[in-house]
Amino acid sequence: MYLVANIDVEICASKSCKLCTQYCPEANTIQYSETMGTDKGYKYGTAYIAVDRCKGCALCVWVCDTMAKNNAIKMIMIDQLPLAAVTDNIRYEEKTTVAVLSNPMIVIGN
Amino acid sequence: MSLDYVKFSGGFEKFMPKEYRDMVEHGPFGKKISVSQMGSFKEILEEHPMCAGCAMTLFIRLAIIAFPNPEDTITVGTAGCGRLAISQAAIPFVYGNYGDQNGVASGLSRGLRLRFGDKPKDVVVMAGDGGTADIGFQQVLHSWFRKERFTTIMLDNEVYGNTGGQESGMTNRGAVLKMAPLGKKFEKMDMLQMAKVAGCAYVATVVPNNPRRVESVIKKAVLIAREVGSTYIQAYTSCNIEYAIPTDKVMEDAKTVENDRYQFTEYVSDEAKQYLTERYGYKDYLPKAAAPAAAIPNKA
Ligand SMILES: Cc1ncc(C[n+]2csc(CCOP(=O)(O)OP(=O)(O)O)c2C)c(N)n1
Ligand code: SF4
Ligand code: SF4
Ligand code: SF4
Repeated sequence: MYLVANIDVEICASKSCKLCTQYCPEANTIQYSETMGTDKGYKYGTAYIAVDRCKGCALCVWVCDTMAKNNAIKMIMIDQLPLAAVTDNIRYEEKTTVAVLSNPMIVIGN
Repeated sequence: MSLDYVKFSGGFEKFMPKEYRDMVEHGPFGKKISVSQMGSFKEILEEHPMCAGCAMTLFIRLAIIAFPNPEDTITVGTAGCGRLAISQAAIPFVYGNYGDQNGVASGLSRGLRLRFGDKPKDVVVMAGDGGTADIGFQQVLHSWFRKERFTTIMLDNEVYGNTGGQESGMTNRGAVLKMAPLGKKFEKMDMLQMAKVAGCAYVATVVPNNPRRVESVIKKAVLIAREVGSTYIQAYTSCNIEYAIPTDKVMEDAKTVENDRYQFTEYVSDEAKQYLTERYGYKDYLPKAAAPAAAIPNKA
């Protein structure tokens, strides 16, 4: 098993600065959704991770903790994630993306 | 491929390759995209085998987003880590033999001008410090002396990363590396000064911990290279493997190095300033309005 980044929707949506999306070295890995936060009653959308592309570097953790001062990202073993986004379940819309969350282990393994 | 030269005939969209449709429908082709929109559009760069947390990867990602007309851009690279990512993008990539990249780009950029006239087709070279300042040095310098109109970007990780840690001309004096165990005996080469002496119209240094600045310098360099002359960007893109930087500290290192030896510098020739102002509406280079005369103190 290996570590991947996981963003806490509640903590991120309180700030939603999008900084981590600009610092992840991997393309199309930290995505942004307008609905993932607002659907749950938060003011803003949130960043989230396409875990199949995450290389586990934790650079985004440093960015959120030190630059954004928001501590919304933690590294978690991929099999411990309850639900997560994977690339095949992400749709691009005008200024946002929409992700169907699922158990990443089942999706990646099937 | 380009949106201006190849257009879908109505009803044929679905027969275009998925990668191309993605770029038109959800990506940056034919649109103005900026780093502030990252995370909400499909990027040109795809998955690739560069190391986790590599700052060079981040820089390449930002650079490709910053290309002013990505659908009309061709990248040129050479041996070294960067080509592992640059080649995995939905725009054409030409691989020059190690050190040949500026020669290849010279021919390519001239050929494209013959073929497409004055419609812009941008050529951007991205190569390591070894490829640019050591093995490719002669071809790089000569392309600048000839004022070839394309952009050269040095991915400066201050080491030969792809082959396990030999020193390059851009390694700092005293640095001890796996394959330079006694420490480097000479100073880091001053390629910025050489670029100016060789007549580059635009020369800038940049570090990827400032994505907006990366975007701004890449845009200017590519635009100036369309008509004015050679442009050169030197980017600090640390190698966390050879310099043993923990991946979660890569941006901290970038900041330290930026403060130490990679402060932002930008040289723009007068001709390039005039071109950016007149052609692309840049305001930064307009003559400063004369400062209002200081008010005469009223002694009454
Ligand atoms: C003519 C030739 N000589 C040597 C090599 C082996 N080689 C491949 S990559 C590389 C070093 C790359 O270093 P640099 O250009 O600094 O790029 P980095 O990998 O650090 O990004 C070398 C020596 C080669 N491919 N071709
Ligand atoms: S840096 Fe932190 S607060 Fe900002 S978008 Fe990313 S996870 Fe959210
Ligand atoms: S851990 Fe690294 S690869 Fe994964 S999302 Fe964070 S920055 Fe990107
Ligand atoms: S060896 Fe160094 S420069 Fe090359 S991909 Fe790995 S971290 Fe990046």
